Amino acid sequence: MARRKWIFLSAIVVGLLGAMMACSDGTTKSDLGGTVDPVIPAEVAGWRLVDDGQIYDTESIYSYIDGHAEVYMAYGMVRCLSRRYSGPEGEPDLVLDLFEQASAADAFGVFTHDRDGEEVDVGQGGLFRHGWLSFWKGHWFGSVYAEGESEAAKKAALALGRAAADAIAEVGEVPPLVAELPVDGLDPRTVRFLHTQEILNGVVYLGYENALQFGPEIDAVVGRYQRPEGGGWLLLVDYPDDATAELAEGAATEAGINIRRKGSRLAAVLAPEPQAAGDSLLVDAIGGE
Amino acid sequence: MGNNKLSRRDFFSVGTGAATAGLIGGRAGADDGGKPPTSRVVLIRDREVLDNEGKADPKGLHRMLNKGIVELVGEKDAAAAWRQLFSPSDVVGIKSNEWRRLPTPAALEEAMRFELEQVGVAPTDIAVDDRQVKSNPVFRRATAFINTRPLRTHDWSGLGTCIKNLITFTERYPDYHGDSCAPLGSIWLRPEIKGKVRLNVLVMLTPQFHSTGPHSFSQEFIWPYGGLILGVDPVAVDATGARIIEAKRKLYFGDDRPMRPPPHHIQIADTQYGIGVSDPERIEIVRLGWKEDALI
Repeated sequence: MARRKWIFLSAIVVGLLGAMMACSDGTTKSDLGGTVDPVIPAEVAGWRLVDDGQIYDTESIYSYIDGHAEVYMAYGMVRCLSRRYSGPEGEPDLVLDLFEQASAADAFGVFTHDRDGEEVDVGQGGLFRHGWLSFWKGHWFGSVYAEGESEAAKKAALALGRAAADAIAEVGEVPPLVAELPVDGLDPRTVRFLHTQEILNGVVYLGYENALQFGPEIDAVVGRYQRPEGGGWLLLVDYPDDATAELAEGAATEAGINIRRKGSRLAAVLAPEPQAAGDSLLVDAIGGE
Repeated sequence: MGNNKLSRRDFFSVGTGAATAGLIGGRAGADDGGKPPTSRVVLIRDREVLDNEGKADPKGLHRMLNKGIVELVGEKDAAAAWRQLFSPSDVVGIKSNEWRRLPTPAALEEAMRFELEQVGVAPTDIAVDDRQVKSNPVFRRATAFINTRPLRTHDWSGLGTCIKNLITFTERYPDYHGDSCAPLGSIWLRPEIKGKVRLNVLVMLTPQFHSTGPHSFSQEFIWPYGGLILGVDPVAVDATGARIIEAKRKLYFGDDRPMRPPPHHIQIADTQYGIGVSDPERIEIVRLGWKEDALI
């Protein structure tokens, strides 16, 4: 049901963004259709659009962002809309990329992939660091990349990001699983939402046996804890049914992972220091003794 | 130098497996009392090669390349060293990397082309390419390759390495993306490549030690290292570069930000595909030039 809702909302936002792609330079592109969207400016803080924009699909994205496309693909990327803005003389170009993901949870997941930077008020969550703004809103992940760093470029990037976020009417929800992480000792900036072991390996390396049976339909959240008794990464995984969770529990236990199961949910502590520190985290996360 | 001099046959056999990897260092090999093979790389650095904007001086870069090859091959001068590696009858593909944020410097490509022509290779038998190697007529009939690229972090493989640089020879890149790009070493066993890569040059002029954002690049995460790592063994070259990146990350981030995912395709290229040596204990690093802040 929720999925259908997102598909419906997606259609609305696609229309909005299609209009943005087509018309912010004052012309209409017949292949995209739509009408001029007054929300997305052709100029932001002295930076002006310099191209008609590009749309990348799940194949062409690999040539556009060599080395990073897999991240978006791991969260069900549908397409990426890209536009370039040229700044005043001596200032770097800005590149706006809007990634349409499979769901709001996935857009949030992409956003959590890199949580460095200062928090900024853009979309439903924004971060700025070293010339790069990232944000999410609805089922869209946004990026404004400055091809060089300056104070003026930072202001323009933030303004452009806000304009793009404002053009997305949809508001998404943070995946409910995130709220299931115990708060005691959690560093909230380390929280990641994910579906695949490849993404998890970018946080804490597990190897590639896929003992936890990750897959596109499986939601997981991981966060780092530091408590008086020690620390580690707590992973919560929701499976579609108890049987799949039980299968993962067996394989993970065999792989030496400290894990507990309650119905279709597994909790695991990864890289605990000291080893015993994981037990209290598991109890807090999933109950038991 | 004389002890390290390699025969022409040694160079030509490189990349054909662990048995020949032992010849790379010219010292120990599988036939040498059962000792594990060793490899030898040259790390050459020049404090003056980069200008204030990080652009390399073409002449300085050319000098670094030639000094490195002289040391690697163990010849008396650059001309002799290049003749050790290539012959006039060769058809040579220079496998470059065109990633626009941090490409192989054009000056380095030109220096390689120049030296190949000095050896006597016909200009029409030399080509530089990256994405179009499969359809490039020179690459299609190549008898030898030079493999060169800058070292940078990579979200899926941990590092973009010399080993990884040959992925454009394949039909479908995602086929090599599983397990943090673990199968990359297998590319080197393809018939059109196996035994043909005679020189690897890992560009360490401004290496990238961290990736951020969809475009994977920020000036914040490169630094003026002013180096090249040269070797016949791509695994030894990459393993040496990886140590430098890890050391830089530790300096910048502290202890809690190791490379993720780890670039284990380097080790797997050794242990599973046998195309070179990844164990630092079995890699001899010959250091030339600027020593300060070498991080290794």
